[in-house]
Amino acid sequence: MRGFLGWWSRWVARWRRVSGRAAVSSHATGDGMMATAHVAPGMGVAPMLDCESVMRQLWDYLDGELTPDRMVAIRAHVEMCTRCYPQCEFERSFLDAVATSAREHPALDSLRAKVGEALVARGLQQE
Amino acid sequence: MTDELNQERDRQFRTEALRWLPEVARFALSLTRDESDADDLVQETFLKAYEAWGTYTPGTECRGWLFTICRNAFYRRRHREERQVTCDDPELEALAAAAVHASARQGGYEDLFARFDLSDAIDRAIAALPGPFRDVVLLVDVNDQPYEAAAVTLGVPVGTVRSRLFRARRLLQEALIDHARDAGLVRPRLNADTAAREP
Repeated sequence: MRGFLGWWSRWVARWRRVSGRAAVSSHATGDGMMATAHVAPGMGVAPMLDCESVMRQLWDYLDGELTPDRMVAIRAHVEMCTRCYPQCEFERSFLDAVATSAREHPALDSLRAKVGEALVARGLQQE
Repeated sequence: MTDELNQERDRQFRTEALRWLPEVARFALSLTRDESDADDLVQETFLKAYEAWGTYTPGTECRGWLFTICRNAFYRRRHREERQVTCDDPELEALAAAAVHASARQGGYEDLFARFDLSDAIDRAIAALPGPFRDVVLLVDVNDQPYEAAAVTLGVPVGTVRSRLFRARRLLQEALIDHARDAGLVRPRLNADTAAREP
């Protein structure tokens, strides 16, 4: 049985990690090219990135492991790039699928009781 | 006085360590793939954690600390040393992901992960990964640990976590695309030449 609460909490955690960055409104302009440099809220002009740089850092970006400036720059590129956007969505849906695939332990209450008893036998004082 | 200190230690252990029991149980189940073995592993993890509680710094990342104990206990039980794996440049692995995506797109599998519930196939594919790759996927992708915390748990540099993780993701994607193809989940797109020959 897959625990809904576990699934939900992991989904929310992942969502928090990969979203909520500075919003950049933009649109795809065709053939993977960025149209213009643009301004991200509070971040100044985002540096122009080429597709290969973005591809090299896409996993780090999706894992929320880059600096805030870099996150904004890559997000801006991805949202404007017809080449990078589909790959980003593909990888994102893959990560979501993996994150929600884990099996929850089917009998947590009895496991909790078993661990509790073992700890008490080892000296943990009962509540 | 000693009694009060013990009571405080036990209270802290309950508050900070035992709250992570569901996560540790899930991690143990992912490693052992057997409920009974997972139960024993979880119990061993918390007993070791209780004994070593004096070495834990309250307020630090307790979940990662417990994962480390759990993983070490698992490998001790298996008497299996972590296999050495070749580590490619993580950025090259990241670029290789583009090739997998291109292949998926060409085969008509681009929305595979969004359209189908692949939980069981993912579970099997993760289990089939070599140990070092599986561990990093379980920590980062399943248990949402940052790279740095995973590096501490695995006792390897962050760069190694990245390269193993990116390689593992590629292996998983390839396995899942193979699964989808074998299961006939998506009818592969016909390329232009084939389509032209279709009646």
